[in-house]
Amino acid sequence: MGRFLLYRLLRTIPATWAIVSFVFLLSRALPTNDLLGQALSDDSVGNRGLTAAEREAALLRIQERLGLTGPVFYFSCTHSTTGAVWQWHGSDNQYHKWLKKAVKGDLGQSYRSGQPVTAVLGEALRFTLPLTTSAALLATVLSVVLALWLVCGGPAFLLSMLYAIDALPLFVVALGLLLLLANPDILPLFPAYGMGQQTADNAPWHVQISTYLYYSTLPLASLVLVKLPSLVVQLYDALRHELGANYATTARAKGLSAYQVATRHALRNALLPVIALLTDLLPALVAGAVVVEVIFALPGMGRLMAEAAATHDFPVLVGGVLLMAIMRLIGLVVADTLYFLTDPRIRLQA
Amino acid sequence: MRPRKKGAAQHAIAVGWLVLIVSAALLAPWLPLPFPADSVDLNHIAQPPFLPPSVPDTSRHWLGTDGFGRDVLTALVYGARTALLVSLPAALFATVVGTFLGSAAGFWGNSGLRISIVYWLMGGLLLVGAVEIVSTAPSAWWLLLLSLAAAVIIGKSLMRVPMLRRSWPFPTDRLVLGAASLLSSVPRLVLILALAAVQDASLPGIFLLLTLTHWPEPAHLVRAELLRVRTLPYIESARAIGLSGGQILWRHALPNAWRTARTAFPLSLSALIGLETTLSFLGVGLPPEIPSWGRTLAAARLDPTAWWLALFPALALAATTLALRQLTTNKISA
Repeated sequence: MGRFLLYRLLRTIPATWAIVSFVFLLSRALPTNDLLGQALSDDSVGNRGLTAAEREAALLRIQERLGLTGPVFYFSCTHSTTGAVWQWHGSDNQYHKWLKKAVKGDLGQSYRSGQPVTAVLGEALRFTLPLTTSAALLATVLSVVLALWLVCGGPAFLLSMLYAIDALPLFVVALGLLLLLANPDILPLFPAYGMGQQTADNAPWHVQISTYLYYSTLPLASLVLVKLPSLVVQLYDALRHELGANYATTARAKGLSAYQVATRHALRNALLPVIALLTDLLPALVAGAVVVEVIFALPGMGRLMAEAAATHDFPVLVGGVLLMAIMRLIGLVVADTLYFLTDPRIRLQA
Repeated sequence: MRPRKKGAAQHAIAVGWLVLIVSAALLAPWLPLPFPADSVDLNHIAQPPFLPPSVPDTSRHWLGTDGFGRDVLTALVYGARTALLVSLPAALFATVVGTFLGSAAGFWGNSGLRISIVYWLMGGLLLVGAVEIVSTAPSAWWLLLLSLAAAVIIGKSLMRVPMLRRSWPFPTDRLVLGAASLLSSVPRLVLILALAAVQDASLPGIFLLLTLTHWPEPAHLVRAELLRVRTLPYIESARAIGLSGGQILWRHALPNAWRTARTAFPLSLSALIGLETTLSFLGVGLPPEIPSWGRTLAAARLDPTAWWLALFPALALAATTLALRQLTTNKISA
C-alpha cells in the first residue's frame, strides 16, 4: 500500500509544483510600481521631505524586504536596438530564492500587512479547517444515510428536492440561508456574521463549543447542502445497480430485509464510485469556503484568498494556492486509502 | 405514452425559457425598458417591487431597485446578456478545444501518433524561430507563416533521406492528461481567483480564463468515448483500406464522439454560468460596471431586508440551469 500511495504522490507533486510556479511567475510579471509606491508611503508617513536619493534608497530597501530585487527567472530577454538579448542569470534570481525558501517553509511576507505568509495562512486555517473537515464528514455520512433511506423506500420527493438544490450555485444557497434564517425580518435564528469575535479563550469548553456551533451552523449547512446532491444521487444509483445483481437476489432469498441487504452486501460495492467523488470533496469544500466565508464574514482561508486576489497581495495568494494544492494531495491520499480498504482487488494490484 | 408527454412538456418549457433568455439578451438595447442599463435613480433607492413610483410622471420599477437605485429588471435583462456573452463563447470554445485535445489523446494514445525525425527537427526549429520572432518583432507574424511554409517544404524534401524517415512516437495522451491534471491540481474557483488577480478585469480576459480552466471536462469525456470507438470494427476496416490516422479520426471517429461532447455542452454552459455569477458576486474578473446576476445578488448581501434582490436573480439562475439540464436529459433519453 505504501508503494501505491507513494506512486500517486510522486505523480501529483510535479503538477502542484508547476501550477504554483506558474502563478508565482505570472504575479512577478506584473509591474510593481503601484505596490512599491504604496509601501513607500506607508513607510515614510512621518518624514515628508524625501530627496530623490533617499527615495531611491528607501525603494531599494522595500524591494529587498519583499524579495523583489534581481531578475525574476533563470534567464531573461531584454529588447534593445540591436534586437533581443538573452541573458543567463544563474541561481541569483527571485524564483530560485522563493523556491528555496518555500521548500524550507518560508513563503515570504504579505504585501499588505508585512506579516509572514505562513502565519497569516495558519491563522486563517484555524477557522477553515474545522469548517471544511466537518462539512466533508457530515456530507459523507449524510449522503450514505440518505441514499440508504431512499433505497429502502424513502420519499421520492427527496430526490427532486436535491436536484433543485443542485441547480443553484453555492453562493445562492448560502445567500438564501442567510436571508431566510439570519434575517431580523423573517427568522432571526442564527447570526449573520461575527464568528471569532465573541469567543473568549477562558470560557468553559461547552460555552465555546456552543458558540462555535451557533456561528458555524449556516456556513456548514450551505457547504453540506451544495455537496450533498451529487453524492446522494451517485450513491443511490450505484446502490440500485448493486441491488439488481445476483448476489443481492440471493441475499433477499435468504430472508434478509431490504435494509440488511443494502447495508451488509450492496453498500460496500456501491461505495467505490463515490470514493472518486470524495477525492475532490476536500478541495471543492475549501474552494466553496471562499464563497461561504465572504458571505458569512468568517475570517478564514477563503476570504483571505478573495481579499488577496482583490488587493494583489501575491505572496498570500501564491501561498494559498500552494496550500490548496497540498489539500488536494491529502484528499488523494485519503481517497486512495479508502479504495484500498473497500476493495481487496486493489490491494492485490498494489 | 404518458411519461413521454410529460417529458415533452418539460422540454417545451425548458426550450421556451432559454429562447426567452436569449432573445432578451440579444434584444436588450431595443426592449422597451424604462431605465437604461446601469442608470441610477436616486428618487427610488431600495424600493420593493410592484410599487407605484413615489415621484409622479416617472416609470415604475417593476422588480424594485437595489441600494444604489439601479432597476432590478434592467439589471436582470442586461445580466442575461453578460451571462450569454461570457459563458456561451467560453463553453463553445472549451468544448471545441476539449474535443480536439481529448479525441487526439484518446485516438492516438501514447504511441499511436508517430512523427518522423524530420518533423521533430522542423518543429523544434520552428518553435525557436517563433520565440525569436515574437520577442524581437511581434508585428512580423507573416514571417512566421513564411517559415511554416518553408519548414513544410524542406521537411518534404528531407523525407527522401532514409535515415531521417524513422519516426518517434508523440506522447499525446500523456501530454493532454498532464495538462488537465495540472489545471485540476488546484480547485477551479481558487485558480481563477489567482489568475484573475494577475490580469485586469475585462470581458475577453474572463472569457479566456473560463475557457482555459474548463476544457479538461469535455476532453476527458471525449477521450473516454474515443477509447471505446477506436476498437470498433469500422475503424479497423478504415485502417485496412489505408486511410491515414488523421483522416480516420476526423471523418470517422470524431462524428461518433462529437455526440458526447454535444450532449455535455448544456451542462458545461450551466456550470460556466454558475461560475460567472459566482465570480461577479465576489467582484472578481468582470469590471464592476458590467451588470450581472451575481452583482445583483451581491447587492442583496448588503441589504438583508431586500428580498427581491436575492429572489429574482436566483430564480432566473435556477430556471436557466434547470432548463439546460432538461435539454441534456432529453438528449440522453432520446
